[in-house]
Amino acid sequence: QCPHKWKKVYCTLCNSKRHARDRCPNIWRVYLLRDDSSQQQDDNNEKKQKLPIERIYCYNCGVNGHFGDDCPERRSSRVPNEDGSAFSGENLKEDMK
Amino acid sequence: LLTTDYPWIINHDHSKQKEIADWLTMEIRDFVSYISPSKEEIKERNDTIGRIRDAVNHFWNDANLHVFGSYATDLYLPGSDIDCVIISEKGDKDSRSSLYALANFLKKRGLATDIEVIAKARVPIIKFIDPRSKIHIDVSFERINGLEAAKLIREWLNDTPGLREITLIVKQFLHARRLNNVHTGGLGGFSIICLVFSFLQMHPRIISNEIDPMENLGVLLVEFFELYGKNFGYDDIAITTANGYPIYLPKSDWKGLQQLRSSFSLAIQDPGDATNNISRGSFNLRDIKKAFAGAFDLLTNRCFELDTASFKERIGKSVLGNVIKYRGKQR
Ligand SMILES: [Zn+2]
Ligand SMILES: [Zn+2]
Repeated sequence: QCPHKWKKVYCTLCNSKRHARDRCPNIWRVYLLRDDSSQQQDDNNEKKQKLPIERIYCYNCGVNGHFGDDCPERRSSRVPNEDGSAFSGENLKEDMK
Repeated sequence: LLTTDYPWIINHDHSKQKEIADWLTMEIRDFVSYISPSKEEIKERNDTIGRIRDAVNHFWNDANLHVFGSYATDLYLPGSDIDCVIISEKGDKDSRSSLYALANFLKKRGLATDIEVIAKARVPIIKFIDPRSKIHIDVSFERINGLEAAKLIREWLNDTPGLREITLIVKQFLHARRLNNVHTGGLGGFSIICLVFSFLQMHPRIISNEIDPMENLGVLLVEFFELYGKNFGYDDIAITTANGYPIYLPKSDWKGLQQLRSSFSLAIQDPGDATNNISRGSFNLRDIKKAFAGAFDLLTNRCFELDTASFKERIGKSVLGNVIKYRGKQR
């Protein structure tokens, strides 16, 4: 039998295989969203939720148009990013991804 | 009487919050209001500046004293210095003889003790202590860039909810680790503000207007440490605010950026001078990055720990205390 028997770790909160339930980033990465109903009543376009592409910059290569977690270039920082960070296309509302 | 290392939590217990992130948000607000100066402290600071300003006007009637730095932007920690600059009509008050003449005058008037005249530095200054309030004062001469920076920062503070709160926490965090002094390679106040401003103005949930930063200070603080402690590409990326809002710039596209010996360095373009890197003095970036990563680990571990604790075990606990290590006087 293999001595390095694969220990199955997975998170029952988010189904990730990279951490256990008690160390899930979803425990602290919780946002209090703006009230949607007040958004709809407000016809002012400025208050509408939309994603301004010109404000999206990559922390890894500095280029406009994608977030650092989604960068195709070699990673610049030597600290690993295992679980994903705030600066990811995943970290957006469904319809904006 | 309740004694605690974390005086800002007295009468502010949030241990019953369902989300730890909300608990942290509330604790950040409590800490910020705890270290914010009282009316008496503000009056004492204003009176101190008033006395020195009167003396300067008396000594040189074509000159005026202005404040800049953290005092002018309301981003100072208790006991921090006041930065002032003397600007005159002739623009001739930065000579060595003027520095010594003013220092002697302030001393004779009983307005300054422990005076140091640093005439040979790149930016000549007089340092002294106001004997009545014991506040430390730095006076520089004929340089307007500090005043322009203060004006810009006040605009940023108006447009960026959460900037003041996160900046004060990061300042206190670096202060507790002696990493906020540019003379020893740490991060200066303006650089800290630029990092927080850039983080907030590029955050996916903020640019899409999904969240109000003031309601999400806790998660944003953790993510600030996540970005600059783990992910930011210091070797390749510079920060600039040339368009009014911050963007990243590949270092190779910044013409005139003087590369330091190591490419692992922080580069923040001076909004007032595109050739100037305001963080070029922060040579101890390795320790700064390590400290930010450590803060991320401390905060997230604390969240995991408190998440599994019972409500009874949580009472009177602090999420932030170990991270910011505030050891100031009781207020
Ligand atoms: Zn998980
Ligand atoms: Zn990229």
